[in-house]
Amino acid sequence: MADQTPTSAGEMLNGATANAQPSSEIAKEQSLLPKLVPHLDRHLVFPLLNFVEEQTPEDEDITEITQLKYGLLQGTNMSDFIGDLYAQLHDLPERPQEYAKKRDEVLERRRIFEEETEKIQNLLADPDVINNLRSDKVSNMNYLKENHRVTQQMVDQLYEFGQFQYSCGDYGSASELLYQFRILSTDNDKVNSATWGKLACDILTVNWESAMEEVMKLKESIDTRLFNNPLAQLQHRSALIHWSLFPFFNHEPAREALTELFFSPTYINTIQTSCPWILRYLAAAVITNRARPGSKGNFIYGNYQKQLKDLIRIVRQEQYEYNDPVTSFIKALYVDFDFEEAQKRLTEADEILRADFFLVAASESFLDAARHLISESYCKIHQRIDIKDLSTRLGLSHTEGEKWIVNLIRDTRVDAKIDYKAGTVIMNHPPVSVYQQVIERTKGGFFRTQVLSAAVAR
Amino acid sequence: MSRFFHGDSSSESSSDEEELYSEEEQENEDSEEESSEEEDEGDDDDSSSDDEGGRTGASRFLREASDESEESDEEKVTVVKSAKDKRFDELEGTIRLIENAEKISDWNAINEQYDKMNRQLPTLIRDLDGKPPKMYIKTIADLETQVAEAFEKQKVTPGKKMNPIAQKGLNALRQKIRKNNRDYATEIETFRKDPDDYMKEDVVEEVAPAPKKAKKSLLSANPDSLDAGDDGFTMVGAGGKAMVYTPESILKHLRSIVESRGRKNTDRLEQIKIMEKLSDVAVSDYQRIRVLLTLIATRFDLTSGTGSQMSQEQWKLASQEIARLLTVLEENRGIVVIENAEEWEDDEKQPTITPGEIFKVPGNLISFAERLDDELTRVLQHIDPHTAEYVERLQDEGILYTNIVRAMIYAERLKAEPKLDASQDNINRIVMRRLEHVYFKPSQVVAILEDNTWKDIPEKYDSKITPRTQAKDITTLVRTLASYLFQNAEGIIKGRALLCEIYFLALHDQYYKSRDMMLMSHLQETIGSFDVNTQILYNRTLTQVGLCAFRAGLVYECQTALQDICGSQRQKELLAQGLQMQRYSQITPEQERLERQRQLPFHMHINLELLECVYLTCSMLLEIPTLAQSGSSPDLKKRVISKSYRRMLEYHERQIFTGPPENTRDHVMQASKALAAGEWKKAADFITTIKIWDLLPKAAEIKKMLEVQIQEEGLRTYLFTYAPFYDTLSVDNLAGMFDLEPRKVAAIVSKMIHHEDLAAALDQVNSAIIFRKGVELSRLQSLALTLSDKAQGLVEANERVLEQRTQGTANAFERQGGQRGGRGGRGGARGGRGMPRRGGGTGFTGGALGNAIRAQ
Repeated sequence: MADQTPTSAGEMLNGATANAQPSSEIAKEQSLLPKLVPHLDRHLVFPLLNFVEEQTPEDEDITEITQLKYGLLQGTNMSDFIGDLYAQLHDLPERPQEYAKKRDEVLERRRIFEEETEKIQNLLADPDVINNLRSDKVSNMNYLKENHRVTQQMVDQLYEFGQFQYSCGDYGSASELLYQFRILSTDNDKVNSATWGKLACDILTVNWESAMEEVMKLKESIDTRLFNNPLAQLQHRSALIHWSLFPFFNHEPAREALTELFFSPTYINTIQTSCPWILRYLAAAVITNRARPGSKGNFIYGNYQKQLKDLIRIVRQEQYEYNDPVTSFIKALYVDFDFEEAQKRLTEADEILRADFFLVAASESFLDAARHLISESYCKIHQRIDIKDLSTRLGLSHTEGEKWIVNLIRDTRVDAKIDYKAGTVIMNHPPVSVYQQVIERTKGGFFRTQVLSAAVAR
Repeated sequence: MSRFFHGDSSSESSSDEEELYSEEEQENEDSEEESSEEEDEGDDDDSSSDDEGGRTGASRFLREASDESEESDEEKVTVVKSAKDKRFDELEGTIRLIENAEKISDWNAINEQYDKMNRQLPTLIRDLDGKPPKMYIKTIADLETQVAEAFEKQKVTPGKKMNPIAQKGLNALRQKIRKNNRDYATEIETFRKDPDDYMKEDVVEEVAPAPKKAKKSLLSANPDSLDAGDDGFTMVGAGGKAMVYTPESILKHLRSIVESRGRKNTDRLEQIKIMEKLSDVAVSDYQRIRVLLTLIATRFDLTSGTGSQMSQEQWKLASQEIARLLTVLEENRGIVVIENAEEWEDDEKQPTITPGEIFKVPGNLISFAERLDDELTRVLQHIDPHTAEYVERLQDEGILYTNIVRAMIYAERLKAEPKLDASQDNINRIVMRRLEHVYFKPSQVVAILEDNTWKDIPEKYDSKITPRTQAKDITTLVRTLASYLFQNAEGIIKGRALLCEIYFLALHDQYYKSRDMMLMSHLQETIGSFDVNTQILYNRTLTQVGLCAFRAGLVYECQTALQDICGSQRQKELLAQGLQMQRYSQITPEQERLERQRQLPFHMHINLELLECVYLTCSMLLEIPTLAQSGSSPDLKKRVISKSYRRMLEYHERQIFTGPPENTRDHVMQASKALAAGEWKKAADFITTIKIWDLLPKAAEIKKMLEVQIQEEGLRTYLFTYAPFYDTLSVDNLAGMFDLEPRKVAAIVSKMIHHEDLAAALDQVNSAIIFRKGVELSRLQSLALTLSDKAQGLVEANERVLEQRTQGTANAFERQGGQRGGRGGRGGARGGRGMPRRGGGTGFTGGALGNAIRAQ
């Protein structure tokens, strides 16, 4: 469907975001908005712009953002809203006439569409008909043709109408229409577009469950349908990555699945080639995953370690092409082992997160998890730590730092003691005994051999 | 076959020759006298060579006489020698030189001349219908005896030493003669039986064809002869009839020439001569084009064999003619040269070219440009690159490049013409050629080349692919050319274009870009199916990317990129920069010939010594810490990064005495030793004194970079090596030792601790490293670990074998899983087969078996 925003809007944004006034300098510099926009649908950009508007302090001018919104939505059918924006821009008391006219046109067209699709919609609402439908689309179509005189054209009309509704901003019904279209249509290209459209609708109606379903569907169709066109595959994948950022940070259960998806070889390649800025989101997601309840479970925790390792590798590889405070934090902590630098980056990253549409909700947990990471690797490396020093590293006061360390010792069961008088923590890293290692390795040998010999004897 | 005579020429040239000969004779005699004085024992020798001298002299006079008699038949006629006669003269000259050298026992000179003679031989044999010239037989027969005698003499009087050069020459000559004379055994036999008789025949034979073959010599198209065509010259055809070149007869002439093409015994030089004339009399553009097309083709035919190269003169003429052809075509847009045109059959009539219509002439300009390029490459392959000649021929590249660009513009024009349906292939080929002339050069050089080229091309012509205005920016030029090919070409050309662009980027220090392109191209998977030349280009590109990584200070990346090329000891072969002499090679001559053809001209070479130096230095920086880390533990020893480096290091260590380093390899090896001992300063000294770094741009920066790398790796090595002997180490102390910042030292140590390379921890309060005790394994313990590893490996191998044998039907693991999980048979089987297998120490996770064990 309308998965390409016209470039004009993108270009305007490039110019505008530089002028917009987010809360801090760094956050402004590091804003990804201009990079994200070309990969998103115009309807999807809208919430991002709204967010920028909210972030802008009261006393500052928001004309530019309004201008942007106006430019963005001009191509849509939401004539009322556009008219309002226009009025706002030009300080008019009410919408100009032309928008009213346009609105009438839109309503008229909508009426026509409704009439045209009425029949098939009714059919699909009819339980008898639904019961007769099978998984085979061709036979379904034949069935409908023979029994209810449904033509291909009628089905296509569903698609048109869906697109129209979407453009009008009526996402709920658009989603429904596209769903119906998908059931019936055999035109693969259109079905694919409909899936994209439905994903957009589901995102905009915050229906994350079904949005995730659509994401998975799209992933499969990209893999299967475009396998001989690598370029289109790349483009579609990067679009999918961008679109799925919405459920990524707004829908808890989706995060695990999407992190997996992003780390799968094809998608990580896509990120590396066409949109390295996604690394920020990926990094934030991985780091915050730590603090999630249930992640202490053995298996998931191992998974977390693995993800972190992958992340470090990729951040390192892409360092030359993309870096922002979030990735620099990872690099400082795990590649260079420069704790001071890491601390500096962390404060910067915090600011960025607060100014980012997707990450704003996760910024608290990010900070927390990042502190954990710092202290974890710090404790691993050091034997004796000055509490004062560690507290400053974590950006905490002395007493807070002490509390933090006590909590840390309790949580992670590190073998450590606090020397109160000297104000230090003493870590004890017991080496793994050699005998333990040998025992570990040879433990299963006997049993496995038994199983083996039993199998041979059989 | 035609001759032409000039009315008022005298017989100057022949009389000149006589004088020349007689002078030389004089000299010969002089030298003979001298040599006879010198040589006491060489009586027989002398007499025989006297005979020779006399005989050859006589034969010469004989021939001369016959020439004269011929001249007297046709009065006032200049006999211009035919090419064949010229060759014979050359042979004679060589033989004379050999004889002269024999007299003063200058075996080295003889050896050289002998080689030269053998080179001349094939053409002569061809001229004589497969028989070697008698003179030649005589000479080699004589030489054989001479050499044998000289050799004997040496044996008899060992005291009298020959000078070493002559000695060497003699030995080489003896070998060669032994091999060569076998081929002419029968002839030599006849000659030995009765030398005089044998030679007489020769004389007769040689004289006989002379009158027939008296042709005009190869002359460059000098204006005199052209003018003379109008006054005083009369063309005479084969039957003595006058040949008149008129505009009307051009097509007829051309047809006869084209028909004789490829036949035996056609004298191409003669044809070229005719065509040069024809092109002067041609009046219309059509005629000019036709003549030039044939003329260029014939010029290229001159050197169709594999062994021969085009002479500079011919090459230049060909390139001029191509340029002329292009000019004609550029000016007259009504005529195009294109492959899919109809041949004009009627020789009598000129085709009428209606203005506004496009008239097609069959031919392919692009092929000409390509051929011109190939010929130059072939010439450059054979010239010694350190001579002035090489430079001189290399300068021709400018002309060539201009021609290529012009041909490209022309091809673009054809393509733009919708009526012609010119093939895309042509344009791709010529764009590829252009790219191939650009990609390996620094952009400054290309900028000059481009500049000159556009100056030579008239203002009004411009290329659509690469507009004139773009010529200044070479990076864009390369990108435009390459991306044009990505879009329009396919298969090998596409791959080559990609490689060229990567090469160019790597050459201009854009490591990440080039690396990404290299990886994204996925060429490493398919390169095996490409042709050898493209594989060579791939190797070159890979090497260049490696060097680029080095310049960027990325040691690890550099080492991995260069590993395949440099680790193999076959760099020369892989980069097509010279033949590798292999001890146990089983290369057939055919293969060797092909390989020779593939060689790159010298100016395209990547400096092999620099390459080796870079590779070894990188290997050192990676290997020395690894070696130190593995220490004595047996299981770590397996990790070898560079085999060839290890081999060299071992060899170096085995030496009892090591002198000061002489070559690059010595430098790196001694630096390695110093680095292993923790003496980073010494190591850095060794590395930075290597002279070849100066070849790199920004040598000082690179040395600086290397120094820093050596410091860091030195610190790591030091820690690995000496950690067992310390309880604590102060960070500041280490910082002072390795001249690094304490923060940097702490970072490096932290990294090592985090990766569990070092059993230690940092003490923040005292800023010290505290080494943990009791982690060093005793010999028994480490052996126990190895044993347990191996046992585990064995079990896993057994499982794998069983799985393979039973193909999962009688799967033990599936059974286990089935029982435990209560899964159905079939589903379980599938699960069992698809179970991921993890190697190494984590064998207990995942899979049904793992569950079973954990449950124990």
